[in-house]
Amino acid sequence: MTSPVVFDAHSLPASDNVNAYAFSVALDGQWFLQRGKMIAYYGDIDFHGVGLGRLDRLIARSFHSPLHAADWVVAEGRGKMVLADRAFDVNSYDLDDGNLTIRSGNLLAFQPSLSLKQSIVPGFLTLIGTGTFVAASNGPVVFMEPPLRVDPQALVGWADCPSPCHHYDHQYLRGFLGGVRAHTGFGGTSGEEHQFEFVGAGTVLLQSTEQLMDEIATGASPDQAGVPVRDR
Amino acid sequence: MPFTMVNTRIVEAAITPGQTMFSQRGAMLAYRGEVAFTPSITGGQGGVMSMIGRRVANEATPLMTVEGNGTVLFGHGGHYVRVVDLSGDTLYVEADRLLAFDGTLRQGTMFMGSQGGVMGMVRGQVSGQGLFTTTLEGHGSVAVMAHGGVIELPITPGRDVHVDPQAYVAHRGKVRNKLTTAIGWRELVGRGSGEGFQLALSGTGTVYVQASEEKL
Repeated sequence: MTSPVVFDAHSLPASDNVNAYAFSVALDGQWFLQRGKMIAYYGDIDFHGVGLGRLDRLIARSFHSPLHAADWVVAEGRGKMVLADRAFDVNSYDLDDGNLTIRSGNLLAFQPSLSLKQSIVPGFLTLIGTGTFVAASNGPVVFMEPPLRVDPQALVGWADCPSPCHHYDHQYLRGFLGGVRAHTGFGGTSGEEHQFEFVGAGTVLLQSTEQLMDEIATGASPDQAGVPVRDR
Repeated sequence: MPFTMVNTRIVEAAITPGQTMFSQRGAMLAYRGEVAFTPSITGGQGGVMSMIGRRVANEATPLMTVEGNGTVLFGHGGHYVRVVDLSGDTLYVEADRLLAFDGTLRQGTMFMGSQGGVMGMVRGQVSGQGLFTTTLEGHGSVAVMAHGGVIELPITPGRDVHVDPQAYVAHRGKVRNKLTTAIGWRELVGRGSGEGFQLALSGTGTVYVQASEEKL
């Protein structure tokens, strides 16, 4: 049995997990974090909304996702900051001159040495550069290598591989019985007709359930020709 | 055995050509290779009469058949998964706890009243099993879902196991179960311990208990 552990400013882990559901960032400078994900901090830390002001240079350098600006804040100062999100599993990841695309609601925080961009896939954000970020998932994350087809709800993100495409599998709707099924709805659906297909070299991140974390409104794509529109 | 645990909530299944696997609909997380997922109209094995039996028994959970060549990751609702390997014996489990199972296993329904008559039916009501429960028999593996981790308790003659009906997941082997009540005047005046009903399992076998009193 483990007894409750009491942390103080010194014994709190420095840039490591406190437990599976909380992560402690040793802050000395600036970090971006999604609004509302800080649960506690020690030290002298200020939180500024992402917008116009004296953080202009930082934002111009690392924040290229104006649609999500309202959901992000900059933590600035020295101290230790504990991040968590609704008791979901939290992990930190290091990127070394790499790129990683992640569901926007799952990203909790990132170091400003990374730069945040909107993925061309609606609802996802891409991080490019070198640095650390913290992400949440519903259950532990599983790393898989392509070629792979993934339930859209189980997908957390992907690194280094090309963006996925849609894969539709309607094989059981062919033929006579399939036609009856398709036209009458008799027999129901398997719920697995649609997947995201990954090919090429890279890593795919899955969460342990097909239950999404509740989406946090992250704005809509600009209404321009050629820009994929989020259909929800 | 075709199942390997990836973590506490995901199980990986190897699908080989010519072999069928059944899984709960929508429980596929990812797969490699060429695998087809077809909704099973009859909700499992045994043709139309078995389907009607399951519908009547309210043990008809939406299943799909999984066929092809590859590996599939199964997980559902963030529930913990436990793999049970059967070698000729019978597993008694509620149909909605089945995440995936080998097509080689024989699927059936059992009337709770056939184990203990009227008390068996009462027991089914208390443990949330209803009047019927699903049986899986033969050689193969079953991935069972539970809310919280699963504890495996052996049952040996002379050592009965008492289980909270809400935490009961499944059992196997030659096991007799009966509902025991510990209701006294405290329950009547609303000062009960909350543990008035227990399942007492005796015989030879194993009972699977979840670390939670929440049903799926």
